[in-house]
Amino acid sequence: MADRDRTGTLLIVIDNPPYGDWRGREALDMALSMAAFDQPVALLFRGEGVNWLRVRQKGAAIHQKTVSRNLGAARMFGVADIFADQGAMARFGIDQTEPGAELINADADFYNRFREVIQP
Amino acid sequence: MPDLSVSDQPGYSLVITGAPYVSQAPASAYDFCQALLDSGHRVDLVFLYGDGVHLASALNTPPSDETDWTGRWQTLSREHRITPVVCIASALRRGLLNEEEARRYQKPAANLAEGFTIAGLGEWVEAVNRSERVVYFHGAA
Amino acid sequence: MSNAAMSGPDTGSEAQPTLHLLNKAPSHPRFPVCLGSVGPEDHLLLIENAVVALTDNSVTLPPRTSAMMPDCQARGLADLVGSTVDLVTPAGMVALTDRFQRIISW
Repeated sequence: MADRDRTGTLLIVIDNPPYGDWRGREALDMALSMAAFDQPVALLFRGEGVNWLRVRQKGAAIHQKTVSRNLGAARMFGVADIFADQGAMARFGIDQTEPGAELINADADFYNRFREVIQP
Repeated sequence: MPDLSVSDQPGYSLVITGAPYVSQAPASAYDFCQALLDSGHRVDLVFLYGDGVHLASALNTPPSDETDWTGRWQTLSREHRITPVVCIASALRRGLLNEEEARRYQKPAANLAEGFTIAGLGEWVEAVNRSERVVYFHGAA
Repeated sequence: MSNAAMSGPDTGSEAQPTLHLLNKAPSHPRFPVCLGSVGPEDHLLLIENAVVALTDNSVTLPPRTSAMMPDCQARGLADLVGSTVDLVTPAGMVALTDRFQRIISW
């Protein structure tokens, strides 16, 4: 009964907008670490978090690194998938993303596909 | 060695991402951890991440009529031989350094409280694979 | 379907029962998202700021809901809600987390 499935993919969720705080950056670091240790991990952007995916960001304007660039490295580091909630994408009028993201409906069924869901 | 009578209980890791005196996270995690240990559960890792690292500052100085959360966690950890691990990246960003990091970055002081240790996210990755349960205590914001 | 979707032990049709740990107040954006994610076999545990939802008449909580007793006591809610919701001590929270292999914090 104590045995937990340890074979599936971990999902890290980012649901707040970029730049205004560090929560999303530190969530991304968790995903990159999992990937660095060859553990299957995916990212989900939902709610206001979909603003992470906008094109033409220029973090330098507010003395920060551009998050979409950090995110672009995620796949290279082995993050299996980048998902975006389609309702949130429509809400914020985002139809072009950087990096590319797979549009899904972030409902309970979607969460149930993952071994663990982490929402820092 | 785990007691045979409780060895079928799941082992736990706790991740605290909310700061003390900003959120209830370290307090909720404390009560939960205490209850785990009282019932003979294995606690593999207590990991402080993001704003949660502030719990490990030796300089936290709450008013005397408020709970000293750093001290509480130090006592609990000492009694049960747990060493809470502070994420190095989160810690350095927020000005939480041990002697070694203070020297490396030529900072005038170190402030990591006794009983805590600094390490990378790899500790968390390992715990996620090892523990049967990982419970996250986030901030309220 | 993506790789991530395929690699799990199930594909969503047979959900593993989940314990949802909610510490956000009802006006926090995560609160309604959490409530919408609680499946019929799932359990919701309200802790910290979330316990005020027990007296929020604009909120409908799932049938399987518990609340942290000390959090309710601290906020003057324990006597008000004790007969309508299952109040758990930290030891009771451990009993819940032991029971559910899957735990999501909101």
